[in-house]
Parts: sequence; structure tokens; C-alpha cells
Amino acid sequence: MHGFLLGLANGTTCLAFCAPVLVPFLLAEGENVRQNLLTLLKFLGGRLGGYMLFGLLAWATGSLLSRAANYEGLVIGAAYVGLSVLLLVAVLRRKAPAPDACALKSAQDKLGRWPALLPVGMGLLAGLKTCPPVLLAFTDAASIGTLSGSLLLFLTFFLGTSLYFLPMSLLGAFARLPDLRIVGKFAALIVALYYLVSGILLFAGGVQL
Amino acid sequence: MTAQALTREGTPRMAIWKALLLTLPIVPFAAAALANDLMSGEAQLIEIIPSLLIWILLTVFFFRMLVTGKTHRYRSALFILLAFAVPLYLIPQLFELYGTNMLTPEMTYTAKARFCPMTMGMVILPAVLKGVVIFPGAIVEGIGWFFLWIGASLVIGRGWCSWGCIFGGWDEFFSRLRKKPVVKHVDRKWRFLPFAVLLAIVLLSAITFHPIYCEWLCPFKVVSEFEAPTSLATTVALVIFPLTFFGLVVALPLLTKKRIQCGLFCPFGALQSFFNKINIFELRIDLDKCSQCKRCFRECPTFSLDEGSLVSGKALMSCTRCGQCVDACPKGAMSYHIKGTRIGISPNAARLLFLYPAYILFCGFGANVIADALWRVLRLITTGSMI
Repeated sequence: MHGFLLGLANGTTCLAFCAPVLVPFLLAEGENVRQNLLTLLKFLGGRLGGYMLFGLLAWATGSLLSRAANYEGLVIGAAYVGLSVLLLVAVLRRKAPAPDACALKSAQDKLGRWPALLPVGMGLLAGLKTCPPVLLAFTDAASIGTLSGSLLLFLTFFLGTSLYFLPMSLLGAFARLPDLRIVGKFAALIVALYYLVSGILLFAGGVQL
Repeated sequence: MTAQALTREGTPRMAIWKALLLTLPIVPFAAAALANDLMSGEAQLIEIIPSLLIWILLTVFFFRMLVTGKTHRYRSALFILLAFAVPLYLIPQLFELYGTNMLTPEMTYTAKARFCPMTMGMVILPAVLKGVVIFPGAIVEGIGWFFLWIGASLVIGRGWCSWGCIFGGWDEFFSRLRKKPVVKHVDRKWRFLPFAVLLAIVLLSAITFHPIYCEWLCPFKVVSEFEAPTSLATTVALVIFPLTFFGLVVALPLLTKKRIQCGLFCPFGALQSFFNKINIFELRIDLDKCSQCKRCFRECPTFSLDEGSLVSGKALMSCTRCGQCVDACPKGAMSYHIKGTRIGISPNAARLLFLYPAYILFCGFGANVIADALWRVLRLITTGSMI
């Protein structure tokens, strides 16, 4: 449930980060809602693959961290501060990042021969992108300590964030996207400030999250 | 029913009689505080006098709204009066009960904290997902608030924010102090901030199982109750509350002449905006009458009118139905309107139909609070103590 809610909390940020890739693609395809939904599901399937790889990495990192259990507050606090700074930098940048544009272009060329797999490849690359919400989930997954727990958190995180993607298959949703991105950016800013304060307080030993 | 309309239907004297007749349904609701005193059976004269005064005040103000056709002028005065009355009503009560208005976590979790309707958005998600009420103050009171909130929101939509909110009068007061704004332009994107605050605090609250807005951001902690500083986190929060109050409720409203907390920050207001979509009332511009002077833009305290409104003829979904634009429009182009009816047809009837539930809501919240606050002020004068 925690991963799912974390995904819901950061879904608009994920959407804002992934939309520059997905929306032009869907618009360029110019298919109907059903076809767009199919393409979206392929994209999400690829993204799930990327997240599972992150889950594995988070478990490995968590195992290392468990040796420093006495310093958990310091480590997690510092991680929260680092993450919130990353999120703040991402939000306050003038232009929205075009995630992995070169890698995508390259993948597009390679996968061009298999059009059906193209959205899957895009999703995988988008999933592997270390955007702030993913790093946030990574920190939480690393603190769980078991492989199954880490993978489950990333799976539920994926489900939470994916809910925001589903309306994208409806063409009507695109018209509101700029407003949605503004809301997402502000929300990400607030979440970042919350984690910054929480991280500092955790670091100082003043609060237990 | 405005005086002009009333006058058209007959003589001014007839119009006044008609306004008196239309005020009658409000009279019993305006007497809410008095009824409360009389039912308790123990009220002394000093307690009844404020209730009696409030009964007269609320009745006269509604009558004046009908006779003059001005909504905002009278609503605003009452709204500000309610906001100032809340701390005079609430804080002494807390001192009577607990000897302080600083609540410890134990007091909160043993349901001694008052349920605040502003927590509604944060409470619902954890309650549905986990069956946990994360603001455990007086659950029964909370359920009562929930049904009142749902009912009122369905009837008057975000009108709640100008007719029912017990805190909104604070930034309305500060927004009205200057004659002209110092800051005249606020970027359009800030209008989306309340929705972002709502999204962030609802989801963060669901993750942490704490009412994040109440614990970290609410400016009105300054004029109500707050958590005692028992840790570094609560101490930091105690620094944040006055800062948000001064910034969002005092300084920015003074500089912009807008209700900044209500229009650009309050997550509860953002939640209420969605009710505007499903409720029957709205504010409309009669484009045939409109001279495009944009006075309504400048007057709207919550940024709910923009260039697009002049094309669509509609206020935005964030409109709080305060009536300021209706009062200000020199051409009478702005009016309350019932969705599905033709523009310009019976605007006075639409206004009246909106005013009844909105004013009853205000009486429900306001009569007791203002009367009690007045009684405590009288008590302070006569005995030297509000408790």
C-alpha cells in the first residue's frame, strides 16, 4: 500500500517527466482511443521492466545499508534531503527535461524494424530514468531489506503512478495537460519541501517518519 | 429580489413590504443562538442580550441585502465579524476545558481536539483505504461535520468559502484595508497552487497517516488551537504557522487586495471548487450587457474571472459566489444564475434562491459563535475575565 500511495503522490510528476516522450508519440501515431490504450499498455509494460530492475538494485543497496543500522536516521535523513534537492532542481528548472532523448532516438532507430515493440522499449528507458519520484521509491525500497519487499514496493509504486497515465489514451485529456503539469510541478515542489524538512529533522533526530 | 426590481413591480413602500415578507423565512434561522440560550434553560440576561442582538443583526442584514440588491457589502461585514469572533469563542472555551489552547498528542488522540472541516480532504483517503481516521478529534462531531459539509457543498458549491468558512474573513478583512493594490498582476499559474496543495497534502497524509496541512501549514493555528511544542518537529511547526498567517492572510492580501489564502493556497477551497461543477448555481456574465470594462476581474477576490470569462460568460470553477463582482458591475451584467436556464431571465429569483441556503448556512455557523464571542467580550468588560 505504501508503494501504491507513494506512486499516487508522485504520479503527476512522473506524468510530467514521461509526457514529453509519450504524448508526441501518441499524437504522431494518430490512432483511436483503443489503439492508444494498447500502445500505452505496451509503454507501461516496458516501464514496469525498468522498475523491477530498480527494485533489484534497491534491495542490493539496502543490504549494504543494514550494516549501518545505528546510523539509519542519518542515512535516510540525508537521502531525503538529497532527494528533495534533486526534486527541487528538477521542478525549478526553466524547461521540462526531455528524458533520455538521445537514447530514445537510438532505441527508436533500432526498434523501428519491430514497430510493435517500440512503445515497450520507450517504456523501459523511461522506467530506467532516475527521475526524483523513482529515487524516492528507491530510498524506501532500500530501507525494506528483502528482495520480495523491494520488488513489491516498486510494483505497487508502478501501479500508483500508472493510474495517471491511463487517461492519456483519451484525446480529450491532452488539452488539459499544460494545466496538469503546472499542478504537478507545484505538487512536486510541496512534496520536495516536505521531504527536505523531514530529512533535516530526521537527520537532527527530531522526528521519526 | 433587488430594490430596483421591487420598485418596478410597485411603489417603494410595496417593495419594502415585499422584502420584509421575503426576509421572514430567515428569521428563525437568525435566532439560532437565542434558541440555544432559551433551550439551555440556565441562560442569564447577560447571555441572552448578545444572542438577541445577533438575531436582529442577521435579520436586518438579510433584509438590507434584499432592499439594496447588494450582496457582498453585507456578507463581507458578517463574514469578517465571524472570523474575528472565532478565536474569542474558541480559545476561552479551550482554556475553560483544558487550561490551554496548546494540545498535547495525548489530548488529540483521546478525541479532545475539535474536528476541523478543513481536514476533510486529508481524512477521507486514509479512512477509505485503511479505516483509520487520522484526525481523531471528536469523531462523532466529525461525522456531523461530514454530512453538513456534503449537504452544503451540494447546494451552494464553493459558496461555502464565502458563506460558511469560519476563517476566510481574516484574509477578506486584510484584503479590504487598502484602497488600491500595490501588486496588480499575479501570474495565472498561481491559480493552480491550491489544487497542487490539495493533491500533495491528501497523498502525503495518506502515506504518513498524519494530517500534514494541520501539522505543518495551516495559518489559522495562530487564531485557534495548536500542538504543544514537545519535539523539534512541533517546534518548527510553531515557527511556520505565524509565517504562513502573516504571509498568506495579512501581507499578501494587503498588497494585492485579494483573498490570497482562499484563492491561491487553501486546499479545502480547491476541494470545494469541484462542487461548483455539480451544483446548480453559478455566476454568469450577460455578454449583451457587458461593456468589457474588466472591473469584475479587478474586484474578484479569488482570481475566479479572467479574459476567458468574457468569452464564455462564466466565472471559473474557483468562484466562491461572494457577490463582489455582481455588486461592482456598472452595467448589471453579472448575476447569480441557475444552470440550464436562459441568461438574463429572472436573475433576481436566482440570487434569492442562492441567498436562502447560503445565509442559512452562515446563520448555522455564525449565530452561536458571534453571540458567544460577544458575550465573552461583555464578560471581560464586566468581570475582567473571558472565562
